[in-house]
Amino acid sequence: MTQNLQIELTGVDKHYGGFHALKDINLSIPNGSFVALVGPSGCGKSTLLRSIAGLESITGGVMKITDEVVNDMPPRRRDVAMVFQSYALYPHMKVIDNLTYSLRLKKTPKAQARKMAEEVAATIGLETLLDRYPRELSGGQRQRVAMGRAIVRRPKVFLFDEPLSNLDASLRVHMRKEIRALHDRLGATSVYVTHDQIEAMTMADHVVVLRAGVIEQQGAPLDLYDRPASKFVAGFIGSPAMNFIPGRTNGDGTSVDLALDGQPTLRLGRPAAANQDVIVGLRPEHLSMASTGDNNFAVRVGVIESTGSTTYVGAGDRNDITVVLSDRRNISVGDRVQLAIDPDKVHLFDPITEAAL
Amino acid sequence: MRRIKSSIVDGVGFDLLLVGIPLVFLILFSGLPLLYNVLMSFQEVDLFSLGDVFRPFVGLDNYRALLAQPEFWPIMWNTVIFVTCSIGGQFLLGFALAVFFNTGFRGSTFIRGLFLVSWVMPGLVVGATWNWILAGDFGVLNYILDSLGLISKNIFWRSDIDYSLWAVVITNIWLGTAFNMILLSVGLAGIPKDLYEAASLDGATAFQQFWTITVPMMRSTTGAVICLGLIFTLQQFDLFAAITSGGPANSSNVAQYWAWELSFRQYDFARGAAISTIMIAFVMIASVFYVRSTRHEVRG
Ligand SMILES: Nc1ncnc2c1ncn2[C@@H]1O[C@H](COP(=O)(O)OP(=O)(O)OP(=O)(O)O)[C@@H](O)[C@H]1O
Ligand SMILES: [Mg+2]
Repeated sequence: MTQNLQIELTGVDKHYGGFHALKDINLSIPNGSFVALVGPSGCGKSTLLRSIAGLESITGGVMKITDEVVNDMPPRRRDVAMVFQSYALYPHMKVIDNLTYSLRLKKTPKAQARKMAEEVAATIGLETLLDRYPRELSGGQRQRVAMGRAIVRRPKVFLFDEPLSNLDASLRVHMRKEIRALHDRLGATSVYVTHDQIEAMTMADHVVVLRAGVIEQQGAPLDLYDRPASKFVAGFIGSPAMNFIPGRTNGDGTSVDLALDGQPTLRLGRPAAANQDVIVGLRPEHLSMASTGDNNFAVRVGVIESTGSTTYVGAGDRNDITVVLSDRRNISVGDRVQLAIDPDKVHLFDPITEAAL
Repeated sequence: MRRIKSSIVDGVGFDLLLVGIPLVFLILFSGLPLLYNVLMSFQEVDLFSLGDVFRPFVGLDNYRALLAQPEFWPIMWNTVIFVTCSIGGQFLLGFALAVFFNTGFRGSTFIRGLFLVSWVMPGLVVGATWNWILAGDFGVLNYILDSLGLISKNIFWRSDIDYSLWAVVITNIWLGTAFNMILLSVGLAGIPKDLYEAASLDGATAFQQFWTITVPMMRSTTGAVICLGLIFTLQQFDLFAAITSGGPANSSNVAQYWAWELSFRQYDFARGAAISTIMIAFVMIASVFYVRSTRHEVRG
């Protein structure tokens, strides 16, 4: 089973002087999987990725790539390729020379290197740009060259550090699919850093949520969505973000009172501890507008934003309860509406530890 | 007049004004003397016609006379050696130091700053200091070379015709290295760090990174540094005056020092001007290369 593991991190620590940037990271990445590292800015995503690449040295723990301890191995011997956020194309080389750089270092015969680069260029649509310099390319084209430069080496592992963050929204959606398709075609192992949870959810097999240097939770994307381990993960995964409302469980633990006007009560799918202060998490897309039915509570509509296909409603005293509606409703600001939710979709979190209950 | 006024009021033509002011200065204080010098090299000049602009025209006579002097070719050859070895030494040492300080160890910026001291000192002071270092019987340089076992008897750097030129070359390298280092440091600092990271992931050793990233990325800086070095080296006069006075027997004489000797020692202003004109031609050729090299700018 272990030979199936491409990257294995055990108790990895990273200190920058007195600053503890990565704390006890345990992560196993199977061969051929696509892993996304997500988290807010400054949580250590890039640091972790660069540690895998060997660009940062780790200060504790064991890091293995294909069963080989690489703690002290220089980047050039790790056989990993990285796509930088800045692309880091060699500005003094034409596209073709950027692509063949690693091959030339390996003393691949010139004609063969050129052929390999041309093949890669064809798969990612760079054929016509081979004789240009990076400064003569658009952002999207540069991004492709950076990918091509990684692909041409056929490395064990691909590392991506927010490769799409400099592209416009529509190109980002397009490249996201393309990168995933490329990953599948090459059968590669990829680690992908992003602060955009949608990218992580749509591209990855396995999502790792980092917070302040600690792995908060990891798992399949839908697992994180369905069973967030903490309020942080619950708020981070899913868009728009989960609504959090303070509340208190009732005497038998099967329902919870929300701290809203009129103390509405919601039934719970699973019983919880009785008489306990909690934070109730309700996903905007799980709330529906139903005037009747059970398990609902009344709120005042404060904001209505419609994109045509979807309507976002901000409700509650501070308009901080978001509801996503996929159909158009005849509501207006100031209305009081009933919001209903399936008891199984009510999340509870401890107000102090923020852990899921 | 309207133009000037509007350029002040609303910036129209302000660019012309910006270019114009330095241009006037250049023409006045560099261009005219330069032309005057070229003109003089084709005239017959003596102490009595010194103040005139129009003097008897003698064609290439001054140049012919210069060429006929037996010391002409040796001095030209000395100039070539002085210039190439000074620039080469300054550049290589400066580059090595710049790369060294670019690693950014603790205190590197401070120590790098200290190096500038050599460049701040007047050439005559540097020359006088180096006279002590180079001194034949008690000089530090001989002592070091002797201790290292490189020489068996003292070298009289300043008075031995085999070494006098090298005495000035060594001093000039010391003088110019810091300047080279600072300019090259700026160039090195401008190379994005992630290029080296990308190269190291692509499999490049430190040595390969240097040759495939650093050197090509430094092309335009190198062109500028060498070109400036050429100009400074061709202007280097103080060190000759302080260390060897071009001697002994012209063994360390170079074009710029010879021009001064001819003009202000022998009062043969025409020949002095002729040498200067030859030097102008060389600098112009170098400038063409310089401009071409900056045109190949690859950054951005
Ligand atoms: N060279 C360094 N020296 C000291 N601290 C550093 C260094 N590099 C990063 N850090 C710190 O480590 C933490 C993690 O940085 P990192 O770059 O990994 O964040 P990130 O998750 O990639 O953030 P972003 O999404 O903004 O790129 C940050 O708090 C940062 O200040
Ligand atoms: Mg980052």
